Amino acid sequence: MNKTLNRRDFIKIMNATTGVAIVASGITLTTFASVSEIPVTNKKRWGLLINTNKLTETDIDGMINACKQEQGWGTEIHSTASQKPAWIKKLKVKDKATNKVSSLALMCQHCEEPPCVDVCPTNASMKREDGIVLVDKHLCIGCRYCMMACPYDARSFVHETLNNQKEHMPRGKGTVEACTMCVHKVDKDETPACVESVNSEAVIFGNLYDESSQINRTLRVIQSSQIRADLNLNTGVRYSGI
Amino acid sequence: MSNIRFEQIEGKSLGFYTLIIGLGILILAALGSVYYVEHYGHFVTGMNNRIVWGMPHVFALFLIVAASGALNLASIYSVFNKKLYKPLSRLSGLVALSLLAGGLMVLVLDLGRIDRLIVAMTEYNFKSIFAWNIILYNGFFVVVAIYLWMMFERRMNKFSHKVGLVAFSWRLILTTGTGSIFGFLVARQAYDAVIMAPMFVIMSFSFGLASFILILMASYKWTNRPLGDIIVNRLRNLLGVFVAAVMYFVAVYHLGNLYLAENTGIENFILFDGGIYTKLFWYGQIILGGIVPIGLIYHPITKGDRSMLGLSSVLIIIGGFVQLYVIIIGGQAYPMELFPGKEVLEGYGDIAQYLVSLPEIFLGIGGIALAMIIVTFLVKFLAFLPESLEDDLADSYHKG
Amino acid sequence: MNRFLVVFLSLFVSSVFAYIDEYVNLGEQASSIKLSGKVFHKNPSIIRKMHPEFLRHKRDKTLRQGIRTNEYSLKGCVSCHANKNKINNQYYSVDKKGQFCSDCHKKVGVSFDCFSCHRTVPREDLL
Repeated sequence: MNKTLNRRDFIKIMNATTGVAIVASGITLTTFASVSEIPVTNKKRWGLLINTNKLTETDIDGMINACKQEQGWGTEIHSTASQKPAWIKKLKVKDKATNKVSSLALMCQHCEEPPCVDVCPTNASMKREDGIVLVDKHLCIGCRYCMMACPYDARSFVHETLNNQKEHMPRGKGTVEACTMCVHKVDKDETPACVESVNSEAVIFGNLYDESSQINRTLRVIQSSQIRADLNLNTGVRYSGI
Repeated sequence: MSNIRFEQIEGKSLGFYTLIIGLGILILAALGSVYYVEHYGHFVTGMNNRIVWGMPHVFALFLIVAASGALNLASIYSVFNKKLYKPLSRLSGLVALSLLAGGLMVLVLDLGRIDRLIVAMTEYNFKSIFAWNIILYNGFFVVVAIYLWMMFERRMNKFSHKVGLVAFSWRLILTTGTGSIFGFLVARQAYDAVIMAPMFVIMSFSFGLASFILILMASYKWTNRPLGDIIVNRLRNLLGVFVAAVMYFVAVYHLGNLYLAENTGIENFILFDGGIYTKLFWYGQIILGGIVPIGLIYHPITKGDRSMLGLSSVLIIIGGFVQLYVIIIGGQAYPMELFPGKEVLEGYGDIAQYLVSLPEIFLGIGGIALAMIIVTFLVKFLAFLPESLEDDLADSYHKG
Repeated sequence: MNRFLVVFLSLFVSSVFAYIDEYVNLGEQASSIKLSGKVFHKNPSIIRKMHPEFLRHKRDKTLRQGIRTNEYSLKGCVSCHANKNKINNQYYSVDKKGQFCSDCHKKVGVSFDCFSCHRTVPREDLL
C-alpha cells in the first residue's frame, strides 16, 4: 500500500475529520433507536398484492379507516366531499361481459415509471430507490400537475389549513399528498397500516424482488394484473381476481 | 422607407386616467381574492381533487396562448419581410409581453404555495414539460425585450430581422410547450394527443391576432389617430384564415379521437351528452367563436364594417375562452378509463362537478387587467404606436 | 471598491453571530436538562447558527433515503423545546407567540416554514 500522503488526500482527510468534529460537537446526548443509517437501495422493491376474491367490503372500509388513523387525514372540516383527501378509495367494478362485481381498494400504485414524477416541475414528486413514490412537501408548490398526470386519481390536494398532524406525517395546506405505503413504518421493518388491518391474506405486503417473500411467491403462482397495464408503468400495487 | 413616425400617446385625458383606475381596481380585486384563497385554502374555490385546474387556468392559458400569437404581426414583418406590418411590429411585441405577464400572474397566483415561487425558479426537473415551460416563458420575456430594443434603437435596427427570427422560433416552441402540457398527459383520454401542440399554436395565431386587433383599434380610436383600411383589411383577412384553421384542427382532433374506441367515451361526452360542456362546445366554441366570426369577416355586407371586425374579434376571444374551458374543465370532468372492459359502479367514474367561484373569476380578470394596464402605461411612456396608419402611408411602407 | 468590500464583510461577519438570549423560553424538557446540569448541545452557538442547514440535510436524508435517525430530527427539537400549559396540561405550539421557535425567529426577523406542515407539539403519547 502506498503510504505517502499527497496534498489532496491530506485535505480530504482533514475535511472528513473536521466534519465529524463539528457534527459531534453539535449533539452529544443522542438516543439511538434501532433504525437504519444506510440509504434505501433498489435491491428492494416494495409492493402490495390485493386479492379481490378474498377482500370483503368490510375489509376495505377497515383499510380506509386504518389509513386515516395512521396518517391523520379525513378530519378536514371545510373541504367538500370532492375536496377532502382520499389516500385510499373503495371501488366497485362490474365486468361488462360476466357481470361479476368486485370491490377493491385503490391508492397510489407506486409505479416504477411514475407519471407524477415525470411531470413535477420542482422534483417534489419523487420515487425512492425502493420504489415508494412520495411527495417532498418541502418542494411542492401546489401546481397540481401531478394530479393531472396520475392515471389512478390517487393524489389529493390539501384545500384547508391543518393542525395537529401526526408526528411522522407532515401535511399542509396548498401541497399535494397521497399514499406513502406507510414509509415511516416500512423503514422500521413494519407493515403498512392498511395491510395490518386486514385479517385474511387478502392483502399482502412485501419485497417484490425477494424470492423468499410471500408476495413474490404468490405472484409467481397466481394470475395477477396491474391497473392500466397498457401504460406500461409497472406498478408496485398488483391485483388478483379482477 | 423608415419614415414611420412612432410617438407616445399623450395620456392626460380623463379617459386615460379612468381606464388606468378601472384596471387598477380589477387588479386589486384579483390580489384580494388571491389573499382570500391563500389564507383560507383552496376549499373556497370551486376546484377540487377531480377538477384540479379550474377557471384561473382557463384565463392563464388563454393569455399565454394569445401572448405568443400577438407576436406574429412583428414576425410577419421581420421574418417574412412583409413591410406593411412594420408599423405594427412594436405594438405587437408589447402586446405579446403584457399578455404573457397577465397570464403568468394568474397561473402563479393560483399555486397552492405562492410563497415558494423561488423553488420553481431554482429546482428544475428537466423531464417535466412544466419546468420547460417556466424556462420558455422567462426566455420569451428576454427575447421579446431584446427584439423590442432592436426595433427601438436605430443603431440596432439592422439586427431586428435576426432577433425577430429567434423570437419567432421561440414563440413557436413556447406554444408547442403549452400545448404539450396537455398533450403529454398519457393517462387522460381527453388530452393524450400529439395534435394538442400544433392545435395550441394555431389557436395562438387566432386568439393573439383577435386581441391585437382590439387593442389596435381601441388605441387608435381613443387617441384620434388615423387608421386606414389597407392595414385593417389585411388583419381581417388574416384573422379569417386563422379562425378557419383553428376549426380545422378542432375537427381533426375530434375525428381522430372518435376513431379510437378508448376515447369514444370522452368524445361522446364533449360532443353529444356532456350537458354544459356539449352546449359550450357547440354554441360557444363552434358557433359563437367560429362560424359567426367567419361569417362576419367574409360576408359581403359586414365585410367592410370596422365595428363588425371588432365584434368578430370579441367573439373569437369569447370562443377561445370557451374552447379552453371545454378542453381544461370538460377534459377533467369526464372520468379516466381505469378498467377497460369493466364498468365502475362506485367510488370513481362519475362526472366530476365544478362550480366556478368568484375569487377564481376575479383572479382571471385581474390577469387581463394587468395585461391591459401594461399596454396602456407603456404606450404613454415609449413610442410604440405610429402616429398615423393612414392608407397612403401604409401603401408607401408596402412599396418601400 | 474598498467601500463595497467593507459593507460586504461587515454584513458577512454580522450574519455569523446568531441571536443569543440567556432568558429565552427554552421549553419544558430542555429547561430541565439544563437545570440538571447535563449538556445536550455541546456547542449551542453552532446549533443556533447552523440548525437550518442541519435540518435541511436531515430532511432530505429522511425523506429521500429513508434514514430515520434521531440526530437533528425536527421531532426531537419540538419534543424538547415545547412548553406545557400548567392549567390544562396541554402543550403550546412551538410556533405560537412567546414560544421557543417563534420567539427567537421573530427577534432575528427570519421567517420559517416548518410548521405549515409539521406537527407543532410533541407526539400524542407524550401528552
